[in-house]
Amino acid sequence: MIRVQQASFDAGEEQRALLAGRTDIGAVVSFTGLVRDFNERPEVIALTLEHYPGMTEAALGEIVSEAERRWSLQGVSVIHRVGRLAPGDPIVLVVVASEHRRQAFEACDFIMDYLKTRAPFWKKEHSASGDYWVAERESDQRDASRWER
Amino acid sequence: MTLTHLNQRGEAHMVDVADKPESRREATASGQITMQPATLALLAEGSLPKGDVLATARIAGIQAAKRTHELIPLCHALPLSKVSVDFRLDEANSRVEVSATCRLNGRTGVEMEALTAVSVACLTLYDMCKAVDKDMEIGAIRLEAKSGGRSGDYRRDAGGAVAPPEAPIVTGEGAAGEVSVGLRCDLESPCVRVKCLAELRESLGVSELSVALDDLPTADVGGLKAALIERDPRFSRLSEGRVLCAVNQVMAVDATPITDDDEVAFFPPVTGG
Repeated sequence: MIRVQQASFDAGEEQRALLAGRTDIGAVVSFTGLVRDFNERPEVIALTLEHYPGMTEAALGEIVSEAERRWSLQGVSVIHRVGRLAPGDPIVLVVVASEHRRQAFEACDFIMDYLKTRAPFWKKEHSASGDYWVAERESDQRDASRWER
Repeated sequence: MTLTHLNQRGEAHMVDVADKPESRREATASGQITMQPATLALLAEGSLPKGDVLATARIAGIQAAKRTHELIPLCHALPLSKVSVDFRLDEANSRVEVSATCRLNGRTGVEMEALTAVSVACLTLYDMCKAVDKDMEIGAIRLEAKSGGRSGDYRRDAGGAVAPPEAPIVTGEGAAGEVSVGLRCDLESPCVRVKCLAELRESLGVSELSVALDDLPTADVGGLKAALIERDPRFSRLSEGRVLCAVNQVMAVDATPITDDDEVAFFPPVTGG
C-alpha cells in the first residue's frame, strides 16, 4: 500500500491494518520520519514538501517492488506526506512485515535509503532566518549505495 | 485518433516499440460468469467433481496472461513482472466476478494480457463446472483501468480518460509560479511539454512551457536542453551540476529519445523522507 497525502497518519493504525487477519507474519518493523526543528539552519519553523504527482507513486512502487524482490516480505505500507508541515509532525511511514525479523529490518532500511535518493520529493525549510531549499546529502547517497550489487 | 496496428496502407502490422521509453505499465480487467445458485454453492463448498475450481482458474488465468502473444496476432511477447487473478463470489446475483491485474516495466501496455487472463479464467470456470451446469454464461469482460504509456491513464468508472492528477504541492513562501501536470501541448505542431520543479522552478521562474519538436537539433533530452538554452541562456543551468530529468515520469539521460507530446521534467536532486 502506497499513499502520498497531505493529511497526517497514525503509525499504529497503519500497522494494525497491515497485520489484520494475518497469522503468517512473524515480524513487523515500522519507521516514522519526523520534522526536526533544526537542520541546515537552527530554528526551523516549518517545511513544505513538493512532489511530482504520478512519478512519485510510480517511484515508490518501484522501490517497494525492488524490496519485495530482494527479501521475502509479507506486506509493505509506505505513506509520504506533502504540503506544509511543522516540527514534530510525521513526514514518512514505512511498515514492513515478514516471516523473520532480519528481513523486515533490512527491507525497511533499504526502502528508506532508496526513498530518500530516488523518490521525487523536495523539501523547502522555513526558518527564522529565511526560506531555503534543502540540499541533497552525500551521506544519503552513501547510505543508498550500500545496497548496490 | 488512429489505429496503431494498421500501417499507412491499412495493412495489419506489429508496432515497432524499440524506441519507446520504458515505463511502468499496469492494467486491470474484469469479467463474470453467471450460473445456477446450486452450482455456485457447490463451487463455494469445493465439492464439484473436478476439484478446487478457483485455484485451477487462477493458475489458468496467470498462464494465459503470459501466453497472450501466442493468441492475439499482433501482440508483443512481454516479460510480465506481476499477474494476479482474483475471484469474488456474488451470491445475490449467482455469479463469480473475475478480475486480473498485469504489470511490467516496458514499452507496451498490458491490457490485452489482463483481458486474456480474465477470459481464460472464465473459460476454465466453465470447464470446471460444466458437468453440473451447462447454462452458465460468461459476460462483461472489459478493461477497468490502465496506467502508463503515451495514451495516458484510463479508468472505466471515470468515464474514459482520467482527470489530470492534482497539481504538485507548490511551496508557500517565495513561490514563483505554479505547476500543472497532464496538460496538452499548447502548440499546433508536434511538441514536448517541459516542466521545471522545486528549486529549479523558483530560480528559473519557469514552471512549464512547450517546445516544438522541430526546434530540437536532435530528438532527445540533450537536443531539448540545447533548444532551451538557445531560447534563454538561463537554461544553461540544465546542463550544469546536478539537474535530473524524467521523460514521461521515468528517469532519463541526455540520450533518451523524445517524441510528440512527451512530458519532460527537470528537477534538482530529491530530498524527501
